[in-house]
Amino acid sequence: MTASGCAGYGEELAELYPLSKLGALVTKSITRQPRWGHKPPRTVETPGGMLNAIGLANVGIDDFLKSKIPFLEKQITKVIVNVAGSTIEEYVYVCERLADCERVDMVELNISCPNVDEGGIEFGSSPAMTEKSVSEVRKVFKKPLIAKLAPNVTSISEIAKAAERGGADALSLINSVIGTSININTWKPHLTNVTGGLTGPAIKPIALAMVRDVYRKCKLPIIGIGGITDYKDVVEFMLFGATAIQVGTQLFVDPTAPLKIIDGLKKYLKSKNLKSVNELVGKAHNN
Amino acid sequence: MTKATCEDTFIVKKRDLKNDYFSLVLAPFSQTPNIKPGQFVHLRLPATDVYFRRAFSVAAISPKKKEIEIIFKVFGRGTRILGGLDRGDHIDLMGPLGKSFTFPEKTDRVIMVAGGVGFPPLMFLTEELVHHGYNPKSIDFFYGGRSATDLVERARIKKLGVNLHLTTNNGTLGDKGLITNAVEGFMKKHSQSKLRLYGCGPERMLKAVDDLSGKYHIHGQLALEALMPCGIGICLGCVVELKEGGFDRVCVDGPVFDTGVVKFAP
Repeated sequence: MTASGCAGYGEELAELYPLSKLGALVTKSITRQPRWGHKPPRTVETPGGMLNAIGLANVGIDDFLKSKIPFLEKQITKVIVNVAGSTIEEYVYVCERLADCERVDMVELNISCPNVDEGGIEFGSSPAMTEKSVSEVRKVFKKPLIAKLAPNVTSISEIAKAAERGGADALSLINSVIGTSININTWKPHLTNVTGGLTGPAIKPIALAMVRDVYRKCKLPIIGIGGITDYKDVVEFMLFGATAIQVGTQLFVDPTAPLKIIDGLKKYLKSKNLKSVNELVGKAHNN
Repeated sequence: MTKATCEDTFIVKKRDLKNDYFSLVLAPFSQTPNIKPGQFVHLRLPATDVYFRRAFSVAAISPKKKEIEIIFKVFGRGTRILGGLDRGDHIDLMGPLGKSFTFPEKTDRVIMVAGGVGFPPLMFLTEELVHHGYNPKSIDFFYGGRSATDLVERARIKKLGVNLHLTTNNGTLGDKGLITNAVEGFMKKHSQSKLRLYGCGPERMLKAVDDLSGKYHIHGQLALEALMPCGIGICLGCVVELKEGGFDRVCVDGPVFDTGVVKFAP
């Protein structure tokens, strides 16, 4: 799947290849109201990745249903809508609207965005708030519900267990890691928002360790995210316990990366005499 | 719009234009005949410590040979690596991307305002205009830089037959002073003609050109530069603020914008 915020609403990628090649498309975060996002500069390249502070720029739920869903209705792929909010009521409101939309297959709750002052990560950094926001959404959204977890917490497995208690069907991890950088000539931070979310290959080892931790302590299926660039990265995530993966920042470098990954995985499985990627899941834990 | 593709190309020609300026000709790129002036290509550098692609406006094309030329100045890590590559080296090229310039009326008097290394898309536009039968003598190409060494490829632009006006901040070549002063002088002198304006260069110059366009009511277009992680509209990283509020993505809503649209920093 594509990671939220790295494929828009699918329109641009569909210009390059049929979205049916993807397992699922995860949309940019949708909020109740449209958001313009932060002032530029919003991104800066860092060693092995990037910092971003887009600020949840999105069209808002009304326009999403009106102008983006008709496009998605023509696409043959699973549609997972990422939902962000600054209050529990906002999450519930947006998910209620999505529950009525047939084209939406699943929701991924962004309870972990590091780039907005209000909400987002506030929900995802407390087990109690995580459980409450997931359980409130659960009441109105009966289709599969994924909770996307932040790495910027003391214990991600505690948050994972809270999401499980709240009624989540799956977990996706990790969201971006909080970071910043500064221009040593102007003494000004590179990002207008000062801090941003670090993504790309630089965060892969962090993500792997967290997937490993959550796999050991929580029963929910895990969608691995964090610096995946090729099939080898995917194999690593699966060995540590991910049953699916999302490609994020790599889409910016190579929008066709998911196709190459699928192709590479097929060859890898063949070379190992394996029939399915499921045979890889969690194998690192047997050692 | 032409569909963008990703293709493996290689450097077929490299020219050192001195003082950190380089020209690279890349081929074969199947979409070459469809590239329009103002559009850009996104290059993936064959180096591990540079993660993102780098965007370059197209300076010239050779449709038959499927070649495209880019001209750049070494400025940071990406351009340093690019400048260090040689003939035969491979580069993954994505393009053509972004919106192109729209052509003027045949009767328009055309003003090109090229600031330093912003000149390549305007040179490409000029070449296409001449190719499409525009009178080169109705094109005034203003080309400015800090000093004479910044004004590369002067002979090539001159050869197109346009009226070339050079300016340098330190007076080492052409008129001394800011390019926009020279442009404003020209506008005043030709206020009776129907003028059309195109600009590409540093942001401060673009702002000044944008202001001139408003002051003298001259329709124009500006090609912007931005750091672009994706180049295809999905990352929302390269946005510019608009005067009417909100943001546009430089990569897909631009890089060519009409004058009066973008809110430049004061």
